[in-house]
Amino acid sequence: MNWSLFQERIVMRQHFFALLGLLLFVQPLSAVPGSRIFVTNEKGNSITVIDAESLEVEKEFPIGKRPRGIALSPDGAEVYVAISEENKILIFDPDTLEVLREFQSGSDPETFAIHPMTGHLYISNEDDARASVFDPVTGQQLVEIEVGLEPEGVAISPDGSKVIITSESTNTLHVIQVPQHTIVANILVGARPRSATFNSDSTLAWATSEISGEVQKIDMRKHKVLHTVTLPGAKSKPKDVVLSKDERFLYVAGGRANAVYVMRADSLDMVASVPVGKRVWGLALSGDGKRLFTTDGVSGTVSVIDTENNKNYKTIRVGDFPWGVAIDD
Amino acid sequence: MTIMAIMTTMTRKIPAVLIAVCAILLPAQPGRAAEPLEMRFAYIGPDQGSSLAGVQQGISEANLQGAFLGQRYHLEVFAPGDWQEADLAGVLAVLGATGQTELLHLSALLPGVAIFNLHLTDNDLRLACYPNLLHVIPSDRMYADAREQWRQKEPGAGVEALAWHPEFLKFAARDLNKRFVKKQGRKMDDLSWAGWAAVKMSADAISRMGGGNAAALLDFLKNRLNFDGQKGIAMNFRKTGQLRQPLLLAGQGRLLGMAPVRGVAIPPTLDSLGLVGECEK
Repeated sequence: MNWSLFQERIVMRQHFFALLGLLLFVQPLSAVPGSRIFVTNEKGNSITVIDAESLEVEKEFPIGKRPRGIALSPDGAEVYVAISEENKILIFDPDTLEVLREFQSGSDPETFAIHPMTGHLYISNEDDARASVFDPVTGQQLVEIEVGLEPEGVAISPDGSKVIITSESTNTLHVIQVPQHTIVANILVGARPRSATFNSDSTLAWATSEISGEVQKIDMRKHKVLHTVTLPGAKSKPKDVVLSKDERFLYVAGGRANAVYVMRADSLDMVASVPVGKRVWGLALSGDGKRLFTTDGVSGTVSVIDTENNKNYKTIRVGDFPWGVAIDD
Repeated sequence: MTIMAIMTTMTRKIPAVLIAVCAILLPAQPGRAAEPLEMRFAYIGPDQGSSLAGVQQGISEANLQGAFLGQRYHLEVFAPGDWQEADLAGVLAVLGATGQTELLHLSALLPGVAIFNLHLTDNDLRLACYPNLLHVIPSDRMYADAREQWRQKEPGAGVEALAWHPEFLKFAARDLNKRFVKKQGRKMDDLSWAGWAAVKMSADAISRMGGGNAAALLDFLKNRLNFDGQKGIAMNFRKTGQLRQPLLLAGQGRLLGMAPVRGVAIPPTLDSLGLVGECEK
C-alpha cells in the first residue's frame, strides 16, 4: 500500500511537471522579481545573497564554520545549509534571511539532496563514511547508511526511488533504494567521484570523477557505466554536473581548468568550453534553464553563463572561497 | 500512511546501529559479492611505528571498499628476517619496511610479485630498475630536487621536503589526516603515507581488474595505474619503479608549499622531481 501511494505521487508529480513546463514556456526570459541566488563561502563562513534580476550582491552575512552544501526546500520556503565544521544543518528564510532553526546532522556534513516527495534530507557525512537521512521539520535522524570513504555527492532520482552517494576515496557510486534504504548496487568509477545527476525519467545518471578527470554516463536500470570520457587537459578536475532543462546538454564544472564544459548528454561529445573564474566547483541552473551560475572558489566569484550561446556574461565578486550555489526562483 | 510516517516508525522500532549491522551481515544483499575474494599482504618491518600504522590504515580502508566491491584483505606481519618459515608464495604483494639486503633478497625470491619499498630513499635502488620493486617513498634525489626548487623561489630559505604532512589540508588530505589520527592515534608522516598508499593502490587495482593475482597486480601497477594518493593528482610509476608524486615543503614545522614549484619547474611536471627513466642495467 505504501508503494502504490508512492507511485501515485510520482504520477501526480509528472503531471505537475508537465503543467510547470507549459507555464515556463510562456514566461518572460528575465528573472522573477524578488528572486535570489544564495552562495556558501567555505572560508568566509558566510552566505552571499545576489539579486537574480540585477545580478548585484545584496548582502553577505555570517552563517557558521565552513558552510558547503546549500539547497531550497521543495516548496521554496526554506534554505538549508550544511555547516560542515559545526556538524549541523542550518535553516534560514530566503526572504527575511532570518535563521529559523538548526539541527545536528552527524559528523562533517558536506552536501545533501532533498527527496522530491518526502522532503527528507539525504546527507553525506564526509569524515564518517556514512550517509544519513533527516527530517528537516523535526531535525530527527531517520536512517543511517554505511557507505565508502569520503562520501560526497548526493543525487536523488526524480521518481524518488533511488539515491546515489559518491564515495570519493572508494571510487564508488553507491545506489540506495528508497524507501528501504538498502544499497542495491555499487558502481566502480574513475578516481574520486564527486557529483552525480539524474535525467527526468530516472533511467540515466551522469557522474564526474575529479582525479581521473572523467565524466561517466550510467544506465540506472542496470547500474552499469555506459560511456566514459576523459576531459581535455591535465587541469580538468571536474566537480559539479548539471543537466540542461531539455536534457540535451550536460554542464560540468572543470575545477582547475577554470572552465565549464558543455557536452552532449547522450554522446558526451564536447560542445563548448566556457572560461570562468579559478577552481570552479559549484553549479546551479536557473528555473527557466537559461542561466547557469558557477562558484569559482579561488577567484572568489560567481560567473553567470547564458546557456543559449554558452557565453560567460557576468562575474560577481562574492565571499572567500565560494562553494555551493542555490537559486530561489 | 505516508512514506514519511512509515520510515519514521521503522526507524523508531529498529535502532540505526542494528540496521547498519544487518546491512553488513546480510549475505544475499544485492550489489555485494556473495563470496568476497580473499587476499593477503605480507608486511616485513618493525612491528610498531609509522610504517605499520600506515599499512594497517590502508588495510582497513581497502576492506571498507572491499565490503562493497567483493574483496577481503588480510595482513601478515613479520619482523625483519623472521619470514623464512612463512609461505610467501601466495601473497598478493609484499610491503617492505626493511633493509636493502633483505628487500633485494625478497625481490629475487618472488619474481612476479610486487615488492613495495616503504622506507629506503637510496637513489641507487631506483637506478638499478628491479622489475618488481616499487618505491612508494620518494628517493633522496626527489627530496633534494624539491628543496632546490623551493630555494630558487625563496633563496636562502631552509626547508624540508616531505612526502606528507599532518597539517596538509588540500585535496582531501584533511580527511586522510583526520581519519588516520582517529584510527591510529598518531599523526601521518612520510612512512605511514607510503604504507597507506601501497595498500590503497593495490586494492584500487584489484577492484578495477575485478579480481586478480600477484602477477596481474604487478602488471597493473606498472602499466595502468592512476592512483589517487590524496595529493591532488593521479600518480603512477616510472621505469625505475619510483612513484611519481608531488612533495610538500615545510619550514619549522609549518607547511609552506608544494613541489613541483610553480614558476620554477618548467614545465611543472612530476618528472621535475627525481631521476627519470635512467636505468643502469
